[in-house]
Parts: sequence; C-alpha cells; structure tokens
Amino acid sequence: MNRNLFLMEIRRNALSLIIWTMVITILISVTMSFYSTFMENQSKIAGMLSIIPKGALQFKGISNFNDLLSVLGFYSANNVIYMMVLGSIFGIVLSSNILLKEEYDKTAEYLLTRPVTRSEIFVSKLAVIYLNVFLLNFITALAGFICVELVKKGVFSIGAFLVLSLYTLLLNILFSSAGLFLSTLIKRAKPITTFSIGIVLICYFIFTLSKITESASKIGYLSPFRYARVDAINPDYSLDFWHLAYFIGISLLLTVISYRIYLKKDIYT
Amino acid sequence: MSVPVIDVTNLSKFYGKARGIEYINLEINEGEIFGFIGPNGAGKSTTIRILMNMIFPTSGSARIMGMDVIRETKTIKSRTGYIPSDANAYSAMGVREFLEYCINFYNVQNGGKKITELSDMFELDLNRKIADLSLGNRKKVSIVQSLLHSPALLILDEPTTGLDPLMQSVFFELLRSENKRGMTIFFSSHILSEVQMLCKRVAIIKDGKIIQLEDIDNLRKKQLKKVTIEFGDQLNAQSFVIPGIENVITRSGNRMSCMFSGNINELVSFLSGKYILNLMIEEPSLDEIFLHYYKN
Repeated sequence: MNRNLFLMEIRRNALSLIIWTMVITILISVTMSFYSTFMENQSKIAGMLSIIPKGALQFKGISNFNDLLSVLGFYSANNVIYMMVLGSIFGIVLSSNILLKEEYDKTAEYLLTRPVTRSEIFVSKLAVIYLNVFLLNFITALAGFICVELVKKGVFSIGAFLVLSLYTLLLNILFSSAGLFLSTLIKRAKPITTFSIGIVLICYFIFTLSKITESASKIGYLSPFRYARVDAINPDYSLDFWHLAYFIGISLLLTVISYRIYLKKDIYT
Repeated sequence: MSVPVIDVTNLSKFYGKARGIEYINLEINEGEIFGFIGPNGAGKSTTIRILMNMIFPTSGSARIMGMDVIRETKTIKSRTGYIPSDANAYSAMGVREFLEYCINFYNVQNGGKKITELSDMFELDLNRKIADLSLGNRKKVSIVQSLLHSPALLILDEPTTGLDPLMQSVFFELLRSENKRGMTIFFSSHILSEVQMLCKRVAIIKDGKIIQLEDIDNLRKKQLKKVTIEFGDQLNAQSFVIPGIENVITRSGNRMSCMFSGNINELVSFLSGKYILNLMIEEPSLDEIFLHYYKN
C-alpha cells in the first residue's frame, strides 16, 4: 500500500463521508425520536398498520405489530432503508469512482507515472473504500445505539443490535466490491455513478417485490438484501454462517477479479 | 558500451483491429535530447504510454535504463519525469498541495525548497487552486511536477501547449541546462521548430511506423532541396519529368515548387532548354522535410 496515495484519497473523500454520515445519523435520530410517540399511540397505529399487507411489513423484518413495540424492532424496521440502502449507495458510488475518476479526470497520467505499482494503487484505494464504509457504518451504528439507549422502554439485545449492524456493514461492503468491479470493466473512462446507484435500487426493489408478492418470492434470491437479515427481534436472530459466507465470498471474489483486471488494464486518459 | 536509456524493440500496439503503433524500434542514449515527431494520431502518445506502463503492448518490448517497462516500472518511474500532453491535474487541489502530493512519492530531501525554486522559475502562484488556473499555468504545474525529483530521464508529450513564448524560452533553457547535467530527454511534439531548437536526433513517426530516424543535421544535409521555378511560358506539367522530383508542393500557371532529391546536374541540364524567369534552389525547412516524409 502507498501511504501518500492513501492519505490523499482519505482527504479527498472526507467531505463526502462526513455528509453521508451526518445525513444517515440525522435520519436515524429523527426516526427514533418518534418511538415514544409511537408507544403512546399504539392502539391507533395498530389500527392503521392492520390495513397494510402483511408482506409489506415482513420485508422490514416485522411479523406482527407487537414487533414494533420492541425498541430494536422499531429501530430495524424504520432505519434499515437508511443504513442498508443509503450505506450501499455511498459504498458503490465511492468504489465505482475511486479508480475510474483518475481516468475520466485525466489525472491517471500523473498517478501512473509515479513510482508506485498498479497493485499498490489498487490496494491503497481499496483500503480507502473499506475505511470509509467502516467509518460510515461505525458512526451511524453508534448513533443508532445511543438513540436506542435513550428511547428504550425496556431491555434489548445488544448482541442482536451488533449482528444487525454487521449485516449492514457486510451488505455495504458487497456493493462497494461490486462498484469496484464495474469500474474496472469500463474501457473508455466515463462516470458510472447513476448506473451504480441504479444497481443498489434495483436490488432493493427486487428484494421488496419478492417479499410483498408471493409469486415473485424466488427472485428475491438474486438480491443481496435477501441475505442481510433484519428480523432482529426474532429469538433465534444471529449471524447465519451461510449468509456470512455469501457476503464475504462474493465481496472477495469481486475484489480479486477487479484486482486482476486492473493490473492488466490499459488506462486511457 | 553503456545501456541505452530507452530501448524499444518491435513494439506494436493494436486496439482491436485498429492500429496504434507497428514494429517501432528506437534506441536513445544517455544524455541525448531526442525528438519524436509526427502528426496527431501517428502513434506518439501510444508509444509514450507504453513506456510509462499506462497501456500494455500487443507485442515487442521496451526497456528504460535496461529495465523492462512492465516488470520494473516502479524503479523506472522513480528515475523518470513525465509531462503529459493534457495538463489536467487534480482540480480540487491547490498548486502547493498537488506538488507536495507529487514529491511525497519520491525520497527527496528539501522537497519544499525544490517546489519553491521551480515555481519561482515559472512564476507559478503556489497558493492558487488548480481549477482556477489557465491552461498555460496548468502546463507550468505539469512541468514543475515532472522535475521535482531530478529525474535521469524526462519524457515530454507535447509539453509546450499553452505556454507563452517567454515561458517556452525559460522551459527550453531549463531543459538544456538539465541536459548538460546528464538528463536524457525524450521530446515528443508535432511542432518541428521546437524539436529543431532542442534535439540532436529525431524520429519521424507516421501511421504508427517510424519512417525516418536521423540526426537533425543529417536530415538537413540530405540531398533534399526545395526547388522553385518560374517559367517564361505556360508550364507543361507532363513534360517536367526528371528522376528525383519527389513531391510537387505547388503548381500554378507558369510557376512550380517541388522537393528534389536527384542529381542537381540533371536538373540544370533539363532546365537549360527551357525559358526560365527565375530559379531558386534552397535548403528546405524541417517542416518541409517532415511534410516530404509524411506525404511519401
């Protein structure tokens, strides 16, 4: 890894990280601030929720209304979209641009003519992606934890909270690896930000559709969101080995392929 | 015998079926200022990008200072400076920040002093944002970054684009003085006059192939002459056929201008039977020599 490049990339992406972290933290805080009001108006809300199709709640990890009464159930049901979808968008936008930007901004001619190997460039940039995604997840999860602690009415499982946070991190890393992979496939450099965001949203849409439409349940397996369990209040909620293997395996595979492509890629500016 | 600083053997690059360069052979010695001339799209940048390991050759090999440009690229780049044709640096950075970022890749003592010295030489404001700089000033940043680590080899790809004549002169003076201190310079350009000013040897590249590799002086001394004739009567082009007339530059009315590489006595003998108003036999400019090779 090249320290100089790593530090420059950290500085370059700091503002984006701060903004995304703040936005997600604020959204979590605002959502969790409604928990007390929610608890005070349970009966009215239960009536409202009764008209919502069961599947529409299931994809948020809720099997019945009582699940929402638990602070962890409320947290996972209402914040999953911010932490998983927005976090994945952050990761994929960062990763799909971090190598490609050097090409379409024509700065690759400066970077690639320094005494630094392609391998060092790749590893330095990968480290920046991982660190950014980790920091985003860590800070937002910490903010979420503080919010849960502040509004809770009883006890909640810290273990389940950690597993939920870990699934979010793994999902974000998987999409980051996908972004990196896509960027190495682009021959003549151009930004792929919109395309990358589209991939996350399509995956989320497929997952949602598979949960609310029984006939489409099978297509859910195509979406990484399917493997990030959010039913945190389920008594047997834990880090599933195969799900963990899925996230680590796919992320690793995409990263290794990206690395091999990048080592041999013709870089045009 | 010392190892050539740049040694290119049968280097080819194809983009699918499209030609980049074909079987390029070059040998550039230590301390040389070598010109690489050709029109846009001839393959100059492709050759340079292979040397800098930005793209990979389809076949052939290239070595810099005896090292393979693919396998030993890191060591090569620690001793090579490069000025790209596009002066696009990191636009969000300040000039000083960018130059510090560049110098931190090398193990340079007194890096800050070096940045200040070179920036002063080119009247570069270190406190400005790169995004706010004009093309000329961005080019200056590009020049300064290439020299920060005192490279043994400097590769220049159209380095003067955007530079005003005064700065060009400062730049050329700097190149001459660095060359005197041992720096080898590979100067790629389509502007012949600047190559003529600096370089001792030159390669002319056309359609991806090197068509001429010559000392600048030899290139001039070749039999090639520019002949301009003004006839007393209407020119009959068909009758004007002598071995050595290679390409007619202009032909209008009773006047013609051409490049001539044949026996000058034959030309004079041929013309002796004609009614001639004016005859000029001149040394062609480098541009004309280049055009001659390019057209052929």
